Amino acid sequence: MIFARSVRAAALLLALTAAAFLSLHTGDAHAAGIGDFLRVNMAPVMFGALVLFLLLGYPVAFALAANGLFFAVVGIELGMFQENFLQALPERIYGTMNNDVLLAIPFFTFMGLVLERSGMAEDLLDTIGQLFGPIRGGLAYAVIFVGALLAATTGVVAASVISMGLISLPIMLRYGYDRRLASGVIAASGTLAQIIPPSLVLIVLADQLGRSVGDMYEGAFIPGLVLAGLYAGYVFLVTMVKPERAPGLPPEAQTLRDADGKTRRFSLLVVTIIAFGLAIAYMKYFTKVGGGADFVILTMSIAVAVSFVIALVNKFLGLNLLSRMTEQVVFVMVPPLALIFLVLGTIFIGVATPTEGGAMGAAGAILLAWAKKRMTFDLLRQATESTAKLSAFVLFILVGARVFSLTFYGVNGHVWVEHLLVGLPGGATGFLIVVNVMVFLLAFFLDFFELAFIVVPLLGPAAEKLGIDLIWFGVILGVNMQTSFMHPPFGFALFFLRSVAPKNAYKDKITGKMMEPVTTGQIYWGAVPFVVIQCIMVALVVLFPQMVMHYKSSGVQLDQQQINKQLDSISIPGLGGSGGLPGLDLNAPPTLNLQ
Amino acid sequence: MDAPLALSRAIDTLNLRIGKSVAWLILVAVIVSTVNAIIRKLFNVSSNAWLELQWVLFGAVFLLCASWTLQVKEHIRIDIVNNLLPKRVQQWIDLIGHLLFLLPFCALMVYHSGPFFMRSYQVNEQSLSAGGLPQWPAKGLVIVGFFLLLLQGVSEVIKQIAIMRGKLDDDETLRGHAAAAEAEAQRLLDQARAEGLAP
Repeated sequence: MIFARSVRAAALLLALTAAAFLSLHTGDAHAAGIGDFLRVNMAPVMFGALVLFLLLGYPVAFALAANGLFFAVVGIELGMFQENFLQALPERIYGTMNNDVLLAIPFFTFMGLVLERSGMAEDLLDTIGQLFGPIRGGLAYAVIFVGALLAATTGVVAASVISMGLISLPIMLRYGYDRRLASGVIAASGTLAQIIPPSLVLIVLADQLGRSVGDMYEGAFIPGLVLAGLYAGYVFLVTMVKPERAPGLPPEAQTLRDADGKTRRFSLLVVTIIAFGLAIAYMKYFTKVGGGADFVILTMSIAVAVSFVIALVNKFLGLNLLSRMTEQVVFVMVPPLALIFLVLGTIFIGVATPTEGGAMGAAGAILLAWAKKRMTFDLLRQATESTAKLSAFVLFILVGARVFSLTFYGVNGHVWVEHLLVGLPGGATGFLIVVNVMVFLLAFFLDFFELAFIVVPLLGPAAEKLGIDLIWFGVILGVNMQTSFMHPPFGFALFFLRSVAPKNAYKDKITGKMMEPVTTGQIYWGAVPFVVIQCIMVALVVLFPQMVMHYKSSGVQLDQQQINKQLDSISIPGLGGSGGLPGLDLNAPPTLNLQ
Repeated sequence: MDAPLALSRAIDTLNLRIGKSVAWLILVAVIVSTVNAIIRKLFNVSSNAWLELQWVLFGAVFLLCASWTLQVKEHIRIDIVNNLLPKRVQQWIDLIGHLLFLLPFCALMVYHSGPFFMRSYQVNEQSLSAGGLPQWPAKGLVIVGFFLLLLQGVSEVIKQIAIMRGKLDDDETLRGHAAAAEAEAQRLLDQARAEGLAP
């Protein structure tokens, strides 16, 4: 038998496991001691075992599930659960399917994947780079601005980091930017996609904390913008202290000029003032929206629409009032703002649910790619396949987490964790500090999906018990988890940047000079100041909850739950089947008999 | 070794084909959801069947693509410790993981999903919402998904043993999630090069 050796080894392991169970089962004095110990301390033992299982490096989804099953069997052997305990599993899996909120994940992923190859990011980076380029640190500001704009259209980090790494990094290097600053600002601006809605992190957090995605979006919007502002502030500080690290573009690099060589930026200023003036006036006199995320989004959308009309009129009537630069800036701003309106605008004004917003955004991205003649069968195939695989691994982590929690809640693990956390000195403040330090450290080796599905469900109930608003809590965690993209060496933003940044010396095609490659060390060190800024931002959100809490005062939003409720109220219950609405409450403890 | 490896290849082909076909349902879900949202706004009509179809499609995608995702090693791992271990130990972890973590879980799910599906099928269980879809097809997806995953687990065990015995080369292109991201980056880089945007 060819497999003999491996089979023997596996059989040995199985036998050892079986022996362990048997020793629990048979009532000899020693084993009974273990049994009693386990009966009392099942939750901590289970948690310790989970850490061990996960660190083995086997796929998280199955390690979680196996841990849950293993301890379920132990529990049954010890008489803590009934024999049929595990029958509840299919119902719990079905509950993860039957969830409209998570449906937004594939939609936003798909949208991001189509968008990243639509050429929108490239156009924006080119044009905005020209606009800000001549001032000191201008290219860095352009990267932050475009990063924030892309973040508001998609929830995918990869897309923006890769585009910026391809387009902006070579230009920054060509004109003598400090390599650490250049790579740090690109990676950090890319991670803005995680906190500025519509981000995947916020969807998952809302789902796990049992709050509405719309509220989470509304709450995260202002902190996201403030964070982008802090990045810009840091660049400004650098240009004040060390101007040579972020020089302005020399005149020969400014290609976006009129025939007479002038850029006429004042025409852009005039258009901007007119457009925003009209937009703000409209918002003030024709709508009731006074502030917050809705106001920002709608005003920007109207302003861009107005500028677009001005630019079109100018072009077709041949008025020649606007410079080439102005025209170009207006035109590149239209697609992202249209998408932002389609997705966030409709969610914020309550026309669409986040899931519908995601679907419309995905459809919009397809149309945009098609209009820009980028839509190919190949692109569509790659986007669907990548989305399908991402959906599978994300949802299977959730499936694994639910198998784990069936047992963990069964042995009152949630009560144990809650006691630990609620009992922390310093009440809510102490809790927030400990939790944030913990999440920050865990983020070094856990992906945000893992954090969100394994850690967050344990933290949520304790936070609620301490009187912490869960949207506020979610946004704090969201900002904190951003660091998981920036931690060397596993941070995904750094990883993406590494894959597109030059690894070998190359000849610059404009200047003809040989350029040094960007070292991995430079990318890692470049991330450090921005991780510090993200930590400062966590502290700011903790200190100034009103940045988030305005979500309560803003307009009505549509939620999937509300739609379902409306529909339920007119529905006739079907034939019943097995018990009620399965799995709407993802973390509800299963009902079972503790003997 | 030939017979098990042939079985493994057959399973891989099956799951690859199913995965790649089912992935297109994502696009269907996007279209269904978009049209749904627009119709709901414009005509103020809403159909529970169409609303429910969205998540059934999504359920089909993630359940039926999970085995393919396993095949291409894209289920997320925490590899901070794993990366430091010798190759041989990593291979043992994978093999033991397949045998003790993955296969029992899938087998148990298939075992319990049978009655779960049959209860629903026998009473032709309908949605709780008026005009919704029958529930049993979606419940059937749970069995099919875990059965395919079980098959893929068997194939992975065969391949892992063959690799450890030197009968099969380890496919280094399948290095998981990070490698997939790298491939995505490479595609973008190629596109940018084709358009003369990157050096």
